[in-house]
Amino acid sequence: MNRWSTRHGAPAILSVVLLAGACASAPPSATTSTLPTTTFAPPPSAAGPSVGVVPSAAPTESPSPASTEPPRASLVAEGGDLVIGQLGTFTWGDGGSDSPWLPGAPIKVGSGETLTVSIGGGVDVESWTAARVPGGTTNGAGAVAMGSGAAPITFAAPGPGAWSIHVTVQFAGVLGSASYYWLVTVG
Amino acid sequence: MTTLARSRHPLRAIHWQAIGLVALLGLSLMPGGVAAHGPDPSLSGGPFGQNQVLRYRWRVGAEPTSAIKTAIRAGADAANATRASKAATFTYDAAGANLIGYGIGATCGVNGLACFTRTVPNGFTMWLREQGHVFDWGTMKWCQAYSVAPNGCYDAETIALDEFGHVEGLNHHVNFADDSDYGDANVQTYSRTKPATGWNAHVFGRCDIATLQLLYDVQTWTAKYSTCLNLSTTLAISASPTGILSGASTTLTATLKVASDASYNRLASNPVAGRTVTLQRRTPGTTAWVAVATMPAGSTSGTYMLTQRPTSDTDYRAVFGASSTEGINGSASPAVRVYVSTCGAAAAKPSIQVQCL
Repeated sequence: MNRWSTRHGAPAILSVVLLAGACASAPPSATTSTLPTTTFAPPPSAAGPSVGVVPSAAPTESPSPASTEPPRASLVAEGGDLVIGQLGTFTWGDGGSDSPWLPGAPIKVGSGETLTVSIGGGVDVESWTAARVPGGTTNGAGAVAMGSGAAPITFAAPGPGAWSIHVTVQFAGVLGSASYYWLVTVG
Repeated sequence: MTTLARSRHPLRAIHWQAIGLVALLGLSLMPGGVAAHGPDPSLSGGPFGQNQVLRYRWRVGAEPTSAIKTAIRAGADAANATRASKAATFTYDAAGANLIGYGIGATCGVNGLACFTRTVPNGFTMWLREQGHVFDWGTMKWCQAYSVAPNGCYDAETIALDEFGHVEGLNHHVNFADDSDYGDANVQTYSRTKPATGWNAHVFGRCDIATLQLLYDVQTWTAKYSTCLNLSTTLAISASPTGILSGASTTLTATLKVASDASYNRLASNPVAGRTVTLQRRTPGTTAWVAVATMPAGSTSGTYMLTQRPTSDTDYRAVFGASSTEGINGSASPAVRVYVSTCGAAAAKPSIQVQCL
């Protein structure tokens, strides 16, 4: 099954159309019975880059085992813009993808500000953890915990400096899990 | 069951009653895996069949390079060799139904080194990115693409083993925040490069194995349980007969099992064979137990038997002291009393009276 192929090398809009069409006709997977059956809408990564600033009104999407990737996650500091995180390792539906510790999507915040991560698509969060390493660090060894728990995903910005922050989310309803990364510069 | 689970995860339960028993008796009943996080979470979709053979071949038009093929085969062999369970196995077969691809057609996430799909019970797919693939975060470097692997490369065998683990049903291990337990699992949330610890792990970690055992069961009743597990056991004892004449013998039979707990999945109520179970005795009305002997294995898996010739009424119990090399807890059986008498005095003890006739 060529689950992600339609979004490679095609114009964004065309990808959206292809994905929506392909998934609408996709046969149910082995996991369908345990997953929500809400209508599929294309994953946001098909319609744009994986990193960037978006307006606060995020596109509507619905969780579905037929979608190819988990929903995107956005981080916002108090009163700031939403910044979509880099999607790293995930499991979703009947598949998954493995990545390294990523540098993260850049965002500037103030020291001690409350950072909030929101998950698109109406997907509920069962649990989350957040950890950081100094910006530019790879492999994640020696990461420092920043928080964990059930929704909502909120934690305090670290002290001044540049930090690669990794948030791992376990989605409710056995949908899967995903890791998102931000490169947070704390002024 | 002699233990009482109180912690957040049934498989990582702290067994307060057992700890009290340890303090009381000076026995070592603690499991070996206390310090670790729990078993890997499992994926939805359920496991494949026990020991199901999953035959794979290279995807036409997307065959790996020779070096990557070798690494993927090695990853499959490592999965088979280190599963320590009845997990599915992976075998290369030119006619296999499960496709493994390599290259620009990879359908992984945008930042993915490798990816998989699994459809139980039919099969799986797997992809590895091509050498030189340019990501937002850097360029793909497989260690196998070099005569001398440079720092910063990914070991294809390690990554393939991670993907095979996913195919078995393993989700990413939940590490301590500082990842000090990274070595407990191959199936990790993020992959490491040479020379970071774990970059070239060619075996399943103990917390991978724990979940494989939960999903697929252990291979034999004598097999060790992963130290990433923390399973309670039950120990029962019976005497046959329970009443004897002085000078006659009775046989004590102990039965050791993994406790019946729904969260133990396939491991629940497993017979536990090949362990050391000790018979203890005491005089009724006293509290101090005295070790008698180690009980040899019985004829049925998980049973241990020893014949005794007590000269007076005696209480017996069996004790299993867990080893630090596996993830099952110790336990002690309730006591069973063996009555001893002479024919003249046996009138009040019907079970002995029969023997006197």
